[in-house]
Amino acid sequence: MDPDGALVEAAASGSREAFDELVRRHQAAIVTLVRSLTAGRGDVEDLAQEVFVRAWKSLRGFRGDSAFRTWLHRVAINVVRTSQTRHARFLRVFGSVGSGRDEAPTPEPPDADEPVDAALARRQIVERALATLPDDLRLAVTLRDVQGLDYKEIAAALGVPIGTVESRIFRARQKLKPLLAPLMTRGATGHER
Amino acid sequence: MTEHDHDAGDQEAVAAVLRAMPLAPVSADFLARVNARIDDAAGWIGLADFRVWTLGLVPAAAVLVVLALLWPSSSTPSAAATAASAQGQVASAQTFTPSSYSDWQQDVTANALLEAALTDTR
Repeated sequence: MDPDGALVEAAASGSREAFDELVRRHQAAIVTLVRSLTAGRGDVEDLAQEVFVRAWKSLRGFRGDSAFRTWLHRVAINVVRTSQTRHARFLRVFGSVGSGRDEAPTPEPPDADEPVDAALARRQIVERALATLPDDLRLAVTLRDVQGLDYKEIAAALGVPIGTVESRIFRARQKLKPLLAPLMTRGATGHER
Repeated sequence: MTEHDHDAGDQEAVAAVLRAMPLAPVSADFLARVNARIDDAAGWIGLADFRVWTLGLVPAAAVLVVLALLWPSSSTPSAAATAASAQGQVASAQTFTPSSYSDWQQDVTANALLEAALTDTR
């Protein structure tokens, strides 16, 4: 049972109030996903807004084969990929001199002098670690561990077999382990070993 | 503890860190900006988007193509249409009038032609 089902039905019939509620429910997750997929490059909120605009336009075509959340993630992936393709084409035509946007950020902990709270510092470390991964690994592990989609949903969203999803997630976690070591102390993550 | 257990533990530890990552902050006007963009897309700015036009015209174009393919008289004449056409030619030959006939006479005079045209009551 899709927890968004009733809202989706109302929004597909033209209710902007219902769609507003869907945006409120999912905006943080989508912004987080877009941040991860773009590795923090570009205007994250602009892309996230485009995701919801695209979702509104396509909502009538949503057949409910998957949960709305899964479908929305698929829309987000497509929006980001389209944007990246456009950006790559732009760089091919006009060159990348001075843009600096396509350089992968290096994983480094936040400055000690930086007045950030613990949650923000944690997020920065995780985002920087994720940014070092190849796109396919970053996407798979983000959808699983950050967004909480299950393997079947991820396979559907990416259009690849479940085995491929499992392999990508496994390799991504292996690569992330040394980078996230500072956060993996007992009690810091809240998990039980 | 086996190596497999160790790997599984590491995998779970990394997953736990990622799960614990707080969601990214969203600006207060996020929803308002989404709505503004939806309104723009539905308004004049949206009408200027050629993709809306081209995609919107696809069904109409498809219907026209199907109609063009299925419409019998537009492409190949049927046997009935051919027969009707032949009958029409015969009928027109039978109703050949003196005035039209006189048009084709080599030795017709101008007066005879005018008279024939004026007396034609069809």
